[in-house]
Amino acid sequence: MKDGKNIVIAINNQNVLAFFGKITASMTHEIKNVLAIIQETSGLIEDIVNMSDTADLKNKERFISSLERIQAQIQRGIHITSNLNRFAHSPDNEQEQIDLNDLIQQLSSLVTRFAHLKKVKLMTVPADSPLMIQANSVHLQMLIFNAIEIVLQHIESGTLTLIPIQENEQLKMHINYDLMTDEQFNCISGCEAWSAIQKNLLGIGIHIVLSSNPRHS
Amino acid sequence: MDEFKILLVDDEQEFVTTLAERLEIRNMNVSVAMNGETALRIVEQELPQVIVLDVMMPGLNGLDVLEKIKSIDPNIQVILLSGHGSTKDGIRGLKLGAFDFLIKPIDIDELIIKLNEGWKKYCDSH
Repeated sequence: MKDGKNIVIAINNQNVLAFFGKITASMTHEIKNVLAIIQETSGLIEDIVNMSDTADLKNKERFISSLERIQAQIQRGIHITSNLNRFAHSPDNEQEQIDLNDLIQQLSSLVTRFAHLKKVKLMTVPADSPLMIQANSVHLQMLIFNAIEIVLQHIESGTLTLIPIQENEQLKMHINYDLMTDEQFNCISGCEAWSAIQKNLLGIGIHIVLSSNPRHS
Repeated sequence: MDEFKILLVDDEQEFVTTLAERLEIRNMNVSVAMNGETALRIVEQELPQVIVLDVMMPGLNGLDVLEKIKSIDPNIQVILLSGHGSTKDGIRGLKLGAFDFLIKPIDIDELIIKLNEGWKKYCDSH
């Protein structure tokens, strides 16, 4: 009976995630359309400015440099919404083949702000070849996010590097912090939440490794 | 490069008219349609050689329109536009005969390269 209840709860959770994912994916599509219109309109203004003689248009250079700033921010918006769109599609499948490289890149983009608030630079070093794993994408992202969050709680400034690799048939996920002290290392690796994440990731087939190596910074 | 007829199809009016204006500034011959039904009417009346077609539109979606365009003239080159980061729509479109696909928002220089490639392919097929 209890198992049956758990299955119902799991199905309901999946439905809730699917609902949030569907709405978010639809909204990112709308935001992309807005960005596309802003991009074309700023591009059109640039075309018109470029067609004008410098004598006709005072401050032409300032117009162009201002438009370039708008366009740079559009590109930033596109990058964020593209990652958010992919994230929103995470609950589409209960289990799927995931490239750990892609997942880490996407997740890194989504948690950059959390790192920024701690003055930490977040980097990824993807492996040369795909690192495929069968998993629930939402679950996997949540575990890696939680691991990053725990590390961020204990550090300030410096560079945090996410390094997915395959070593001797084992998928590993190095979380490297270049300014790690022994105290920070012991605090993070000794906490219960870290152990739980380690155990859960190992269940999926990923060994998470906390490290301090300045060469990755 | 000879002048060729381009048709832009997208239900986002501000997007499609602004993009058309930018292409016209570059001396390109452009028509616009805001839905699949209008697009098919223009295809039959004006016979554009290259079409830029949004995948996700109300009514007839881009992939339906693509199939109908190909039944009117299989040599018309269609570049699909998708708002999604995924390449699923693009791959489906390529299987249905699309020439190429781009993800929105697009880079105007990249679009012009694709349009010229589409025009060249159209000429080669005649």
